[in-house]
Amino acid sequence: MFAFVLSWLASIPTFSLPYALAALGLIISERAGVLNLAAEGLMLVGALSAVGSILSFGVDPSGSLVAAAGAAAIVSLIFAVLTILLRVNQVIVGLAMVFFCQGLTSLLGEQLNWSNRVVSALPRPYLGWLGELPIVGRILTEQDVLMFAAVPLVACVFHVLFKTNIGLRLRSVGENPEAADAMGVGVLSTRFGAVVVGSALLGLAGAYISVGSARIWVDDMTSGRGWIAIALVIFSRWRPWRALGGALLFGGIEALIPKLAASGVRLPQYLVMMTPYLATLVVMIWMAAAKRNSPPDEPGALGRPYVREERR
Amino acid sequence: MAWSPSNSHIAVAGPGPVGGVLALHDIDKTFDGFKALQRASFIAEKGQVHALLGENGAGKSTLMNVACGLYGADAGRMLVDGEEVRLSGPRQAADLGIGMVHQHFRLVRPFSVVDNVVLTGQGEVAGKNYRRAVEIAAKAIVHHAAALGRTIDPFQRIDSLPVAEQQLVEVIRALVAGARILIFDEPTALLTDQEADRLLNTLRNLADMGSAVILITHKLTDVKRFADRVTVMRGGRTIASVDPASLSVAELTRMTVGDTAEVDDAGQRHYGRRRLEVIDLACTRADGTHAFSGVNFNVRSGEIYGIAGVSGNGQAELAETLMGLRSPNGGVIQLEDAGESLQNATPDRLRASGAAFVPADRYRYGLASGLPIADNFAIGGVINGHYGSWAWIRRRTMESDAATAVKDFDVQGIRSLNQKAALLSGGNAQKLVIAREFRTSPTIVVAQSPSRGLDVRATLAVHGRLGEARDRGAAVLLLSEDLDEILKLSDRVGVMSAGRLVAEFERPVDRQEIGRAMVAHA
Amino acid sequence: MHDMTNVGKSHQSDIAPVAKKRWYRGRLSVEVRREIGGWHQAAMLAGSVLMGLILSGCILVAAGVPATSLVQEMLYSTLLDATNLRTVLFQASPLILVGLSAAIAFQVRFWNLGIEGQMIFGGLGATFVSLFDLGPDYARLPLMALAAILAGTAWAVLPTLLKLKLNVNEIISTLLLNYVALDLLFHLVYGAWKDPKDGFPHSALYRASELLPVLASGISSALVIAAFATATLAYLTIWSRAGIYMRFIEANPSVARAVGIPVQRVILVVVLLSGALASLAGFVIVSGQEGRLTQSFFRGYGVSGVLIGFLARNNPIAAAAVAMLMGVLFVAGQNLQVFYSIPQAMVQLIQALIVICVASSDFLIRHRVSWVR
Repeated sequence: MFAFVLSWLASIPTFSLPYALAALGLIISERAGVLNLAAEGLMLVGALSAVGSILSFGVDPSGSLVAAAGAAAIVSLIFAVLTILLRVNQVIVGLAMVFFCQGLTSLLGEQLNWSNRVVSALPRPYLGWLGELPIVGRILTEQDVLMFAAVPLVACVFHVLFKTNIGLRLRSVGENPEAADAMGVGVLSTRFGAVVVGSALLGLAGAYISVGSARIWVDDMTSGRGWIAIALVIFSRWRPWRALGGALLFGGIEALIPKLAASGVRLPQYLVMMTPYLATLVVMIWMAAAKRNSPPDEPGALGRPYVREERR
Repeated sequence: MAWSPSNSHIAVAGPGPVGGVLALHDIDKTFDGFKALQRASFIAEKGQVHALLGENGAGKSTLMNVACGLYGADAGRMLVDGEEVRLSGPRQAADLGIGMVHQHFRLVRPFSVVDNVVLTGQGEVAGKNYRRAVEIAAKAIVHHAAALGRTIDPFQRIDSLPVAEQQLVEVIRALVAGARILIFDEPTALLTDQEADRLLNTLRNLADMGSAVILITHKLTDVKRFADRVTVMRGGRTIASVDPASLSVAELTRMTVGDTAEVDDAGQRHYGRRRLEVIDLACTRADGTHAFSGVNFNVRSGEIYGIAGVSGNGQAELAETLMGLRSPNGGVIQLEDAGESLQNATPDRLRASGAAFVPADRYRYGLASGLPIADNFAIGGVINGHYGSWAWIRRRTMESDAATAVKDFDVQGIRSLNQKAALLSGGNAQKLVIAREFRTSPTIVVAQSPSRGLDVRATLAVHGRLGEARDRGAAVLLLSEDLDEILKLSDRVGVMSAGRLVAEFERPVDRQEIGRAMVAHA
Repeated sequence: MHDMTNVGKSHQSDIAPVAKKRWYRGRLSVEVRREIGGWHQAAMLAGSVLMGLILSGCILVAAGVPATSLVQEMLYSTLLDATNLRTVLFQASPLILVGLSAAIAFQVRFWNLGIEGQMIFGGLGATFVSLFDLGPDYARLPLMALAAILAGTAWAVLPTLLKLKLNVNEIISTLLLNYVALDLLFHLVYGAWKDPKDGFPHSALYRASELLPVLASGISSALVIAAFATATLAYLTIWSRAGIYMRFIEANPSVARAVGIPVQRVILVVVLLSGALASLAGFVIVSGQEGRLTQSFFRGYGVSGVLIGFLARNNPIAAAAVAMLMGVLFVAGQNLQVFYSIPQAMVQLIQALIVICVASSDFLIRHRVSWVR
């Protein structure tokens, strides 16, 4: 029993990290007022780019993470131009982008022969005496470099959002772009930057799924994690630390599935695979019911395009 | 001698730069075909309170939005301290010392006062990192507030402050950012008489301390009492710039509206039975705060009952409850002719019982801007089956009825009944709403700020319709923040303050009494 | 404190025209248009679809398809060859149904992205009737259709109620339920409902009485169903009271409520109808195309439905027309797959590209852009 719990705990970060990174990226863009529904697609782009950069360009696994972030950031420019500059409906563009990315990654994965080929794993840091610790040590030694970077990353995002001038301006754009504009904050450029940076994190999340965790590219491998991440952000009330907590929760649930199967407990395979989605749904319902009567934490201008010279 | 655009090259003697600290010459601005400004000009001097007077739609806000960089002018020149400038945005205007306090505050509500000030990144907080900026801003806020004779807590959230204090934050923010030219857009609109007086004295202080203060307003009395100079605008043009002391109210009115507006006189009235009865109505908002409670009043047939009070005291929620858009937590609403109490009824049930609604927010509760005028007019008849059953709508009847109504109610600016309702100007949109609501000759009318944003002519038309409804025997309930409107139309006046109906007065009503009632219970 | 840096830039008259036309003198002015001409809109729409097709053509050429055969494949052989035309019409039926499904849901601002899940349940309902041999032979097909509709509609109830009562975002809830439906389908076709004859992950073949009949000249009765659905929806939106209600809700839900329209009831009925249409599409595919329940019969229809609804601007008749065009795209895609090894994902890519182009043109339709000095 104890060994089971330990091995389960050790595997949680693998499942949680993509959610945490994706949620961070979404929080950044949503705090600026842009609902990045293309998340699922951008994660796929990141996942494919990471594998592709290793297979075709000989980049090492750590470098592939950078490539993934970059690729997702570039693709997100299409989304940014359409929704921020051209003020097209964010829902339609987001959906179209997801379909576009799904089609594109499927096509390229196939044509460039990047599917179903195993790549090397991310390096693990040297832990020294930390790895010798009784319980914690066992868990720590299973984690690779990106996982150790997760907590500092969350801290960094939190600090920038709430303790710096840049963060203040970004949040003002998301709450009340008219006020921010009157204060001289560049609404369009801030939103652009937020989307691109957020998308880089989404690409990173996708890269972790392919290179960090599965070490392979398979068609449509994100399987809805992008959508779950969007729900996660609502669940975390757009706060970075809470998003980390939520990511751990969801990762914990997902991590349980293979562990249970491996331990010999007989469960209907496909019904069990439903759990992450059902869990997300339950969480969303609970959030909606519990928070019905309190003031919204949602950024005031989330999802609304901004035009300065609009006259009713 | 009245100043006019043609002799703008004449130097104005006195302290401050030649030609005024802020000068706008021959500004043009068009919005997609609509000429908002035509060769408008304006000069502000330091140490002066300069009023920009005009009715709604005259172009005053537009002109000042050009001055503070939010709109770009299509033609014309702008000079600050005698040097010509071309503003690329509000930031540049702020750098030049121009600050504006808007009618709809440009404050980020979930942020604290300090955060809103730090956000400007100008003046005393320029170039500092966040923590240092917060320290400096907090001190500056307290300092400036004291200089104006007020106090404020820098770390409170904006949405927890009353309206008058939020406005103060806007002023202080402009001052901290280094504004020497302060523009106030209809600042007294949301204030009680007492708060308005305090604010206008604040403006006086600011001018005395050396700033150039510009007051955009449509209130003649404020201009006469507080302004050193007034520029009158009408239809996008500047008509004249004079010393208000040199003109009478009647002369100023004529300049503002073009011809004198007639006010009809109230004769003796006979009231019938109670058509609308509200007993002990109470309501709490979604976030748990108390909106209003213990509200008791009735409206008789042939009477206009006005509810006075500035916004934020619960009238908006009361209006929504009466219109069926909000559920009360307690109490009873009774409409004569309805079998049961209707406080929880949906809007269509209320309308079926003879009620009609003229909401304050035209494009939120009144008209669907993307739909044709005919549809907007006829929807009531569609719902109650007048224009056909579920299976078939009689479009031709709808359209001919709409055409008749448009003519009868003088709704202008219509080329075709299929054109979108969004194209109507404020006044015509309101007339359309009234045309629709009055189609069924309602016995009860609930009107909420019906002349908000309308020019004098449209306001008169709306008031006329309300009077007609009253004369026909309807019970009219009028909720408005505009005390002049309430006093002009009402037979009885109820005063709302802090969510309670605190006083009731019979005609003839004393304005001072009302003002006292509003603040006594604040 | 007073910034003097702007002083030098001025002193030019604004009345006289600027001699040198440097592009950075002045700025782009963007204003919302007050009125939008119908012809103007149609022209922009057509232009952007064309743009999307051209871009897709470029991608295909880059992927190795010779340019000339591209035109030949896409246009001539798809439309002029009788077999291909029949396939197009065949393909169009479920596309029309999902297009209608998306269109009416979007009309009341409900983003029904659960079309695939509802299709799956439609297939499950029909297969249930087949597997358990319910009802007499002559009534089998209508019974399957009914079961499909009931199942699919039931699947649409939960997200609708969640949205109406608790304001739970329907985009996420319907999408999540898609994955749940998918897992349920896998559970059944890999398990209890697996075909005992060949052990593949699909159900046993339907009996002859359970297949949609083929009418004269080889056209499937599915097309009749689709045509009927289109006509019904067109009638609903143009002539009935429901149509006006839906238009008001789309334009402004608060105004709709304030004027007395029973908004919640209308939305509920409309979304259930949307679910019914999607499940009908599922039924049409399993009974008319596959002849059994498979693990991928619904693939690509969710995307297509949403895109058809968007391109048709929620109009039922336009949706049917766009669905036909989409059918052409599908068949051309299949031909490309067969002859040039272009993967199915390409079709999805092309669809998304067209939507992106059309969405971009939306901007030019709604705004007036000019250069102001």
